[in-house]
Amino acid sequence: MALQDDIQIYQKRRVLYAVIAMMFLLFLSRLVQLQMIYGEEYGRKSEENSIRTIPKEPVRGNMYDRTGRLVVDNRPAFSVTIMPFEFDKQNVNYLAALLSLDRDFILDRLRKGESYSRFVPVKIKRDIDFKTLSALEENRDRLPGVDYQLETKRSYTSNANAAHILGYTKEISESQMNKLGGAYSQGDVVGSSGLEAGYEDKLRGQKGAEYSTVNVRGQVVGSFESGKLDVPPVDGNSLILTMDFGLQAFAESLMTGHRGALVALDPQDGGILALVSKPDYNLSLFSGVTRPELWRSLNFDEAAPLFNRATLTRYPPGSTFKMILAIAALENKIVTPSWRVNCGGSFRLGDKVFKDMHVHGTVDMITAIQKSCNVYFYQLMLKTGLDNWSNIAEEFGFGKLTGIDINEENPGLLPSTSFMNRRYGPSGWTRGFLPSLGIGQGELGVTPLQMACYAMVLGNRGDYHQPHAVEAIIDQQRKVADTLLYQSRTIPLSPESWEVVREGMRRVVEVPGGTGGMAKIPGIESAGKTGTAQNPHGPDHAWFVGFAPFAHPKIAVAVLVENAGFGGSFAAPIAGKVMEQYLRESTSPRSPLPAKGVYSDRAVAHLTEGQN
Amino acid sequence: MYQYLREHFDYRSILIMLALLIVGIVSIYSATFDARASGVFHKQLLWAGAGMIALLATSFLPFRFLQFISYPAYFLSILLLVSVLLLGKTVSGSTSWFNLGAFRLQPSEFTKITTVLALATYLSRSDVSLQKVASLGIAAGILLLPVTLVMMQPDTGTAIVFLGMFFPVLYWGGASRFTLLAIVAPGISAIAALFGTTPFLIVVLVLGILLYLTKEHRIVAAVVFSLVVLVGISVQFIYDGLKHYQQKRITTFLDPNADPLGAGYNIVQSKVAIGSGGFLGKGYLRGTQTQLNFIPEQWTDFIYCVPGEEFGFVGGATVLALFAALIARGVAIASSVKSKYASYVAIGVTSILATHIFINIGMSLGLLPVIGVPLPFLSYGGSSLVANMTMVGILMNLYANRKEY
Repeated sequence: MALQDDIQIYQKRRVLYAVIAMMFLLFLSRLVQLQMIYGEEYGRKSEENSIRTIPKEPVRGNMYDRTGRLVVDNRPAFSVTIMPFEFDKQNVNYLAALLSLDRDFILDRLRKGESYSRFVPVKIKRDIDFKTLSALEENRDRLPGVDYQLETKRSYTSNANAAHILGYTKEISESQMNKLGGAYSQGDVVGSSGLEAGYEDKLRGQKGAEYSTVNVRGQVVGSFESGKLDVPPVDGNSLILTMDFGLQAFAESLMTGHRGALVALDPQDGGILALVSKPDYNLSLFSGVTRPELWRSLNFDEAAPLFNRATLTRYPPGSTFKMILAIAALENKIVTPSWRVNCGGSFRLGDKVFKDMHVHGTVDMITAIQKSCNVYFYQLMLKTGLDNWSNIAEEFGFGKLTGIDINEENPGLLPSTSFMNRRYGPSGWTRGFLPSLGIGQGELGVTPLQMACYAMVLGNRGDYHQPHAVEAIIDQQRKVADTLLYQSRTIPLSPESWEVVREGMRRVVEVPGGTGGMAKIPGIESAGKTGTAQNPHGPDHAWFVGFAPFAHPKIAVAVLVENAGFGGSFAAPIAGKVMEQYLRESTSPRSPLPAKGVYSDRAVAHLTEGQN
Repeated sequence: MYQYLREHFDYRSILIMLALLIVGIVSIYSATFDARASGVFHKQLLWAGAGMIALLATSFLPFRFLQFISYPAYFLSILLLVSVLLLGKTVSGSTSWFNLGAFRLQPSEFTKITTVLALATYLSRSDVSLQKVASLGIAAGILLLPVTLVMMQPDTGTAIVFLGMFFPVLYWGGASRFTLLAIVAPGISAIAALFGTTPFLIVVLVLGILLYLTKEHRIVAAVVFSLVVLVGISVQFIYDGLKHYQQKRITTFLDPNADPLGAGYNIVQSKVAIGSGGFLGKGYLRGTQTQLNFIPEQWTDFIYCVPGEEFGFVGGATVLALFAALIARGVAIASSVKSKYASYVAIGVTSILATHIFINIGMSLGLLPVIGVPLPFLSYGGSSLVANMTMVGILMNLYANRKEY
């Protein structure tokens, strides 16, 4: 540069070199920042961009009854899904009309889904009918991002309802989702009552996923890494139940028209043969979408069809409880079986008169059970005392949970001295409370399930087995059935006590003059006890507990018929027919199972509780 | 012969440029591989051939001839800019193309060169001094005429590139510190005003102090200072007057994540592409962002993502190094030529290339707003490629004739 000083030019060149170097160093450090420091994060983002995860639903496990009959399985159903990033929210009104959904419901679902990922489909309606499906198919081009997905819904293949024991599945609610954690997402189905809820983690299986590569328009261009990373869904495990669905259907038919409950157990292992709670409902109504109006009608029905009376009602057991007092008296050597009382039809304690149904004359213990003499047991209760009686009742499992493998259970109520002191204060109650308790009335609450266990222990002469409805779980991956082991224990009583109360119960059914003659099974010796629970709100509740055959029982039953009146007239015939049906008809062999077993979660929970 | 060639043929410039050209062609092939746009790749090869001819022709042109055609070429290109406004084809909202059969020509690309030549011719006149206001005014006029025409298309990116050469040329030509500061101060104040009142006030304060330190006449300094303040204040009004997409680009630049699906989409996807490349990249033709077309028309303005994603830091840094070498080479030529005219041309051409590179890569890396400016030698675009290669040809010509006055 002719007119300028060379030195000046070189200075300027140095400045320009420095500026260039600074700019490129800035770019270089930006590259380091993006590619090396945040490289992994951007790598994940690029994968999220280009890889779609399509969740694959597992098939829920089946249920089989003890004879191997399929009672719960699945049918295909279509669910509508929306891919959030593809969906044009201007179409929401149109889609809402097509699916007869509320537009705000769809937008809400969408918003919640988007907050998780814009690239994972959101389920908005389950179990659409064929008409909706074809309407959707026709309008596919108008509704980008809307798709449907093949799923399954529950199908019930027996002619029994068994609604309360099997339980229903329904779309997961927000509170359930919060409780159950990460494995669930919106629109998933979850077992919500009965065995469906009790064995949810076994039945559910594991979701799978398919990964595919998509372009910017969301079109699938191929599987990602040729499907090497795909996770196939693991189908749920199936349950083999202890139940006999022939007997269940028969028992339901006997209970139809009544309010009440029936529980039949296999006394040899505590397996539930039948469990009825009436009124009930048809589980199929819940299998697809549960329509809100159906849900409301079931929920607000004053007969409470959703309520499991077999395990949740708490009624006084009435005279069925008299064997507890007899055993308490014998075990504590208060009286001998030959101790006699003269029954004049009523009993006076202070200024209070306790009534009896009949004038029984002079009765010993066995006759008092046979004829259900109240006066005998009023006096025996006063001699035996509250805590002796309460301790024996507790041995039989009253006042606590049985540990049945469904979540709905009530422990009942068993009073003791400490309970009464807590409740009324040490001086707030008197011996005057005792006579009523002696005949199973008053402040005493039992569930039909507890009563069936009571019948089982009496039939077994002391062997108690944790009641349960699931015998084994078929492991879907190993293709083997694991027999579940449950807790068992023996109530250690003298043989004499068992003989006396059992003889009394035999005479209730078998000997004329017994209150339970209507439970008699022709040709098979059985035993039982009637009860009538006083009901301050209306007609009395009828109870019957029994077992058969007498010597080595194969079935133990408890029946409760609400507001029916006398137990011998209303509950006993039902119990008798159920026992007869089971003993005569159930000759079909049980499905063979491997001997090796695993402890059921609930049995383990029970065992550890016992150690505390 | 060998000795002559070494003396007269700037193999360094052409080798750097060829390396960049190869990176560009390889990247375009990848970007269009699966996008059903293979026509783009073939056309780019043809344009590269045309560019090579233009480069060689320019580099062997007699030095005096270059000087001789400077003004006529400038006026011719201004004429073209005017006629493209009247007769041109409108593509994505701006009228900047002539249709030539299957090809399209963008006169504004060539106007960059002719403007540099005209500016250099004017500034190298012995009666022109950058200390004189009149000279500065005419120089500015030579520049602002094409800028105005380009803005009318409208093509903001190209207009900014024109302006980008002004400051280095004036600096190189020995303009006073006050002049240089007065040129950039309004721009800085405008950008600061976009960021908010506090940054604006701080910048105004700093500029005021700097202007004071130049010891320029108080009244002149006060005029410039008021201009700085005025520009900053009126930015808000100008912003309101901008087209919606331009406003969006500005707000998106200030916070790209505010609207990752709209205006910020390109920046976010570009950063994801480059970032996910990591150190070694995902491998050629295996970049998911590139292959699955997550960046629209990536082969034009966002081509830098391809080496960034598929060859990672190694690829991205190599391209940066090549560009740095090319710009440094331009500055070296500018400082080694004896002719004042040649020196101005070299620095002008180099500034144009550098402005393109800084804006484009800065945008791809998410450091600058989305401004539609191609990356020299890499981006698809015939006119731009031929023009840029011609500029390298000019640099080579200047090198060959470095001893001429």
